[in-house]
Amino acid sequence: MRKTITAKQAAFLLPLFLLLAVFALYPIISSAVYSLFDYRTNDQQAAGLYTSDNFNAPLFIEDCGYITWFLEDDITLVSQADQAELRAVMDRVNALATKYATAEGVIKIPSAEADKLFAAVSEIEADIQAVYERNGHVSFYNGWEKLNTILAEMHTCLINSNFTGLSAYAKLLHDTRFFRSLQSTVIFTVISVSLEIVFGMGLALIMNQAIKGIGGVRTTALIPWAIPTAVSALMWSYMYDGSSGIIAKIFTDIGLIASPERMLLSAGGAMSAAILADVWKTTPYMALLLLAGLQIIDKVLYESAKIDGAGPAKTFFRITLPLLKPSLLVALLFRTLDAFRVYDLIAVLTGGAQGTETLSIYAYKLMIAQNNYGYGAVVVLAMALCVGMIAFVFVKVLGAEIVRDD
Amino acid sequence: MKTKRTTKILSALIIAAFLAVMVFPFFWILITSFKPSNEIFGKDTAFNIIANNPTLTNYREVLDKGILNSVKNSFIVATITTLYVVSVATLSAYILARVRFKGKGLVLAIILSVSMFPQMVVVGPIFNMFYKLSILNSYFVTLAYSSITLPAAVWIMVAHFKRIPLSIEEAASIDGCSQWQTLWKVIFPIALPGVFTSAIMTFIAAWNEYLLTMTLNADKEFQTVPVAINALRTQFSILWGEITAATVLVVIPTLIIVLLFQKQIVSGMTSGAVKE
Repeated sequence: MRKTITAKQAAFLLPLFLLLAVFALYPIISSAVYSLFDYRTNDQQAAGLYTSDNFNAPLFIEDCGYITWFLEDDITLVSQADQAELRAVMDRVNALATKYATAEGVIKIPSAEADKLFAAVSEIEADIQAVYERNGHVSFYNGWEKLNTILAEMHTCLINSNFTGLSAYAKLLHDTRFFRSLQSTVIFTVISVSLEIVFGMGLALIMNQAIKGIGGVRTTALIPWAIPTAVSALMWSYMYDGSSGIIAKIFTDIGLIASPERMLLSAGGAMSAAILADVWKTTPYMALLLLAGLQIIDKVLYESAKIDGAGPAKTFFRITLPLLKPSLLVALLFRTLDAFRVYDLIAVLTGGAQGTETLSIYAYKLMIAQNNYGYGAVVVLAMALCVGMIAFVFVKVLGAEIVRDD
Repeated sequence: MKTKRTTKILSALIIAAFLAVMVFPFFWILITSFKPSNEIFGKDTAFNIIANNPTLTNYREVLDKGILNSVKNSFIVATITTLYVVSVATLSAYILARVRFKGKGLVLAIILSVSMFPQMVVVGPIFNMFYKLSILNSYFVTLAYSSITLPAAVWIMVAHFKRIPLSIEEAASIDGCSQWQTLWKVIFPIALPGVFTSAIMTFIAAWNEYLLTMTLNADKEFQTVPVAINALRTQFSILWGEITAATVLVVIPTLIIVLLFQKQIVSGMTSGAVKE
């Protein structure tokens, strides 16, 4: 094999790189960037990524115009001294307006300038208020109320930077809802994957013995795996239904739950329901993966074990399990990651109610339902970190071989 | 001898129980789809196996609500995804399986990490991207599917290409074939079963996708089956009759795919997980 890649060969890889760059790497990097901002698309003051202060110059100039216009009306009703003071204030307002007259639309301004500008606005505000308070007995055309409204609007012309750095990550450490959903995710993952491994292993061992009629079993086993999770979850939610659900009724009749309604509407019930639906859907997948692993084990080994007088338990632990370990670990890794990322099933079945809110559900609610992209990204990245740790443990500690480059 | 027979019977019983558990939900959905609403919700009739007054109303209702339009959308979206993902995966997997170059380990690691990353990481930014480009509610959603289908397709193809002996290509190159000709005329025909396997797996993954379509295509007109069926659960009522009828309709294509292509599906599931 050659050691270098020619331009032509690299061109074969180009479409892959483009797609991964646009639809995987760019979104991942974007999420990382979002996490550094208080980015909420339903709040005008935070609907973008602002690293510096932004200033709505046209609105500011318009407001300046209103202030001088209102003062122009009222100025004749006060004393000479107050008139002079208001004139001075109007000059200051006009000066501010002229300063930004050439600015087009929303502009970026340095923080120092923004501070100075709005300190000046506050001074103007105080001065105007003082004059009106001194003349409380006069009935003005416009009065302090109207001016106050305009002055308040002027303050919204400044959109402060919503760069928060790593502080959202600090917030995560005190977010009890995050830790609760992490806990639910771990419970769901550990229990469902353990059950799938045990059932899947049992089925694979049986299917490996009896070759007759295996085709039919395999076909049946594939169907739950092949249908959309969102659809199978809906099927289960019907069978769990408190009034017309058959599974809820059966479980009540055999005494597993107190009443059919408790299947989805109690904490333990909802989590068990989700786990059961997941085990139903993915045990066949696990069984088929393990069966494929079993079928490549040399039959001669079993023959010689038999001759040496090893019982079934010994054969399983000394021959089958060690030889199955590579397939088992990879299957386990992929299933663990899938279960950890669970979204469709829980979203359809409970929507995250009754203690079944997993990390995916929480993150989706933050980002899409509440438009809180900044904090949502933090939760999602924390989840990605967990996924990374799971993969690390499987690959480095347990020795799952997933990348083979030979 | 006696113990052997007992194990055999026990095995058969376990397999039978397994099959019963696998099939039961489908069976129950099928019989419910023929029940009229009052029987589904009735206290005495809800758990009857055979409906007292079997009806096709549920099917008629979901057909009127345009479930076939969602089936059509699912077909369009899954087909487009399969076509471009398999083409891209074939090209790149050929190079990744055959050429040794610096940074290849990194490329493989990136592909693998993308398949492991929580899908939730990409949803928010992709929604923003589609919003800014004004392509929400369109078939462009297929492009976003690449983040979930492409890594697996590449993985399956690499495994298949590696099984093809190198000598075939060497012979082709001695005969004066260019890299493109070697791939297209020599390797591709041999790798066709692998191409087919990755196509089936991509199609199923795209057919089953829920999260991206739900987020990017809120408009009913562009919804795929998994999203459309869930939309039958309204805020005020759950139309189980219609939901079960729709489920029966959409499970049929999956059933056909599984029956026709089970060999390819099992091969696709196990490549990467099992080493020969």
